[in-house]
Amino acid sequence: MSIHRQYELVYIAMPDATEEQLAELHQQVATVVDRFGGTIERTEPWGRRRLAYEINRQREGVYVLNILNGPAAMVAELERRLRVLDICMRHLVVRVDEVLAKENRSQTRRKSATVARRLRRGLPAEPTEQELSRRKAENDDADGGPDGFGEGDR
Amino acid sequence: MSGFGNKDTRGGGRGAAKGKDGDKAGRRGGFFRRRRVCKFCVEKIDYVSYKDVKLLSPFIPERGKIQPRRISGTCAKHQRALQTAIKRARTLALIPYVTD
Repeated sequence: MSIHRQYELVYIAMPDATEEQLAELHQQVATVVDRFGGTIERTEPWGRRRLAYEINRQREGVYVLNILNGPAAMVAELERRLRVLDICMRHLVVRVDEVLAKENRSQTRRKSATVARRLRRGLPAEPTEQELSRRKAENDDADGGPDGFGEGDR
Repeated sequence: MSGFGNKDTRGGGRGAAKGKDGDKAGRRGGFFRRRRVCKFCVEKIDYVSYKDVKLLSPFIPERGKIQPRRISGTCAKHQRALQTAIKRARTLALIPYVTD
């Protein structure tokens, strides 16, 4: 058996596609995934969104995100089919297993480092309620918002 | 500049550090240079996702270009991640390539 990896597939369907057409498109994806012995872990319809620029003279699109598990050959076949289909305006497949594992690892490392630091200072492993509320109050004071970033810096 | 001469007379490590600080605060023209920190390091974001437009949008100035590191203060590692995320978001028409 071939190696299975995790991928994220996002495709944008034409805005004038009917419910049946969307279901059919999803069915087509599912068939390919099935044929290669993969699985669809999750499907997340984002719904109708404005496009940042025109694609095929359309200003809107129906976005669908799928999280897939399967071999690389499956991705190749999926991409080939999505390119042919007319109601699919754009698609993107990204391999995510490695980056997610990496993210997970560094987050657990960071957490355990915090716990170790706290224990060394003779504090309980988890921050107490008192600390949490004080930290919250401090953060409310800070003026650094998302829009305070990098502006007026030149 | 006067700040330069001052530093020489004072001398010593501490004086030098102070001079540098003063330089930052008192730019000519009244610009205040904030210490730039990497947003992703501060918020402890390890994976910059192309799906999160709200996260990416502060790094895309009006023209639609990717903001350089020297302005946003992003660290090298995260700027690289940010760059791929923005490019992916562009293919999905979540972010424009150009705006004029």
